[in-house]
Amino acid sequence: MDARRRLGQGRAVSSNDLCVRAVDVDKHFGRLHVLKSVSLDVAKGETVCVIGPSGSGKSTLLRCINHLETIDGGRIEVNGHLIGYRERNGKLVEDSDKNIAKQRCEVGMVFQRFNLFPHKTALQNVIEAPLKVRGEAKERATRVGEELLARVGLADKRDVYPGKLSGGQQQRVAIARALAMRPALMLFDEPTSALDPETIGEVLAVMQELAEVGMTMVVVTHEMGFARRAADRVVMMDEGQIIEVGTPEHFFTAPTHDRTKQFLSKIL
Amino acid sequence: MLASLDWSVLWQRIFHPDHEFVLALWRTIYIAVAAQLLGVILGLIAALMRMSRLAPLRLLSGLYVLIFRGTPVIVQIFFVFYGANLLLGVTIIPNSVNLGVFQLDGKAFAGILALGINEGAYMREIFRAGIDSIDKGQMEAAKSLGMPSGLAMRRIILPQAARVIVPPLGNEFNNMIKTTSLVAFIGVTELFQNAEIGLSQTFKPVEYFLSVAFWYLVLTAVWSVIQAWIERKLAVSERGEELSWRERIAAAWTPVAAWGRGAR
Ligand SMILES: Nc1ncnc2c1ncn2[C@@H]1O[C@H](COP(=O)(O)OP(=O)(O)OP(=O)(O)O)[C@@H](O)[C@H]1O
Ligand SMILES: [Mg+2]
Repeated sequence: MDARRRLGQGRAVSSNDLCVRAVDVDKHFGRLHVLKSVSLDVAKGETVCVIGPSGSGKSTLLRCINHLETIDGGRIEVNGHLIGYRERNGKLVEDSDKNIAKQRCEVGMVFQRFNLFPHKTALQNVIEAPLKVRGEAKERATRVGEELLARVGLADKRDVYPGKLSGGQQQRVAIARALAMRPALMLFDEPTSALDPETIGEVLAVMQELAEVGMTMVVVTHEMGFARRAADRVVMMDEGQIIEVGTPEHFFTAPTHDRTKQFLSKIL
Repeated sequence: MLASLDWSVLWQRIFHPDHEFVLALWRTIYIAVAAQLLGVILGLIAALMRMSRLAPLRLLSGLYVLIFRGTPVIVQIFFVFYGANLLLGVTIIPNSVNLGVFQLDGKAFAGILALGINEGAYMREIFRAGIDSIDKGQMEAAKSLGMPSGLAMRRIILPQAARVIVPPLGNEFNNMIKTTSLVAFIGVTELFQNAEIGLSQTFKPVEYFLSVAFWYLVLTAVWSVIQAWIERKLAVSERGEELSWRERIAAAWTPVAAWGRGAR
């Protein structure tokens, strides 16, 4: 953990150690300029929390990292591979559906509203992609799936449909489902903000454990307690730009930007 | 009035159908099934084209619906039967189609083609509504797991959309069973044409058309039972309250059920 903490102090890291490299990313929705030349590096094994007011572009940035959104400028690499595009004559053109799908196997995503498949049981949700995308054998996928469900504390729910699970349980299944593809990177978009207060803790605990075993994670969250316990760095976004980056302690003790101070005073 | 009904003819038509009649019934069934299948396939393709990244495919899909929903089926049937070969300069509609086990005559083939293409335009809308009814988070979740669009559609979206698609699809097939009577006009000897032939020989219109109505009613009633069964099958894997098979049939036969309960 200490090694990773040191990485987070803003020291230069060699590009081999980088998991995510986003350079000058621009994104518009029609006239709206949602990401304004955003650059962000995430080292392997690092956990980065992204905070910022509503509409500042946090979700959009996250969704660009697995190409759920196209980008208008800049580039995003995950483990050294360009995401969503390929280079042709020095220009970036959108990659094929198949290639993009392959790249997404490297990147797990957890959504605010879980997005579990309602017509499949917890276990079926978890093993669907290993079976159909990776082409794994059923026994193996099932064994791994059961292990993952056990790891998120839901071994006894393997045959239950999402509709019969609580929000916290659904989100833990969703985390297990993403982990089943053995991603190099996990993206979380406000994973606890649709949850009842009682169940937030169980989801954060799973995430914290993931961070501790060295998973690379980018987490959009307003849970500053989680950021303090698990994050190496916190990134503050406002109006489509990253305005401040630092350790969780930095944000708790000495935020520099006025917007950051304002924002933190509202959520803390 | 009822006194003038020749009960023996009616009785004959309903309980002792002759060979010709059975053949006609069979034609009605296979034309309806084949045309509906074609319609489902074309409708699905057109629905997927509508969501394509390529503008020409989207346009084509829109034109298809515009043209085939905007003109009468009977015109389309005549056009396919008389016009397709002339228009395209190749034999689209042969005199007969050899399917190995049985020989499909060219008229029936034209009928199936026309009804199927027409049906596809309606099925596109049904597929579209079904696919649109699924939260877009489902597609995003599937994609984020590395599924290409086609796989996500097949494994995640369509199975969920089926619950929305199947009830109107069932109604479409009910309609199709009855609409097949139009192919009588290009000379296919199905139920309706069979009655017309009988009629021209005996001049007993009431008996003949009553019996035809009866047999269409049998077909659609049998279908409503099958439909109820399919819908029940689909609901089984879903959570939440489920109607039993009997309740679904009851719902499909609302008038009868309401009558049975003493309602008006
Ligand atoms: N698909 C879209 N089409 C048009 N505008 C969009 C779309 N998605 C997001 N936006 C707009 O882009 C801006 C940034 O949205 P984004 O969802 O990234 O914000 P956010 O920081 O995640 O906010 P929140 O905390 O509310 O989730 C917002 O103004 C939003 O209205
Ligand atoms: Mg958001």
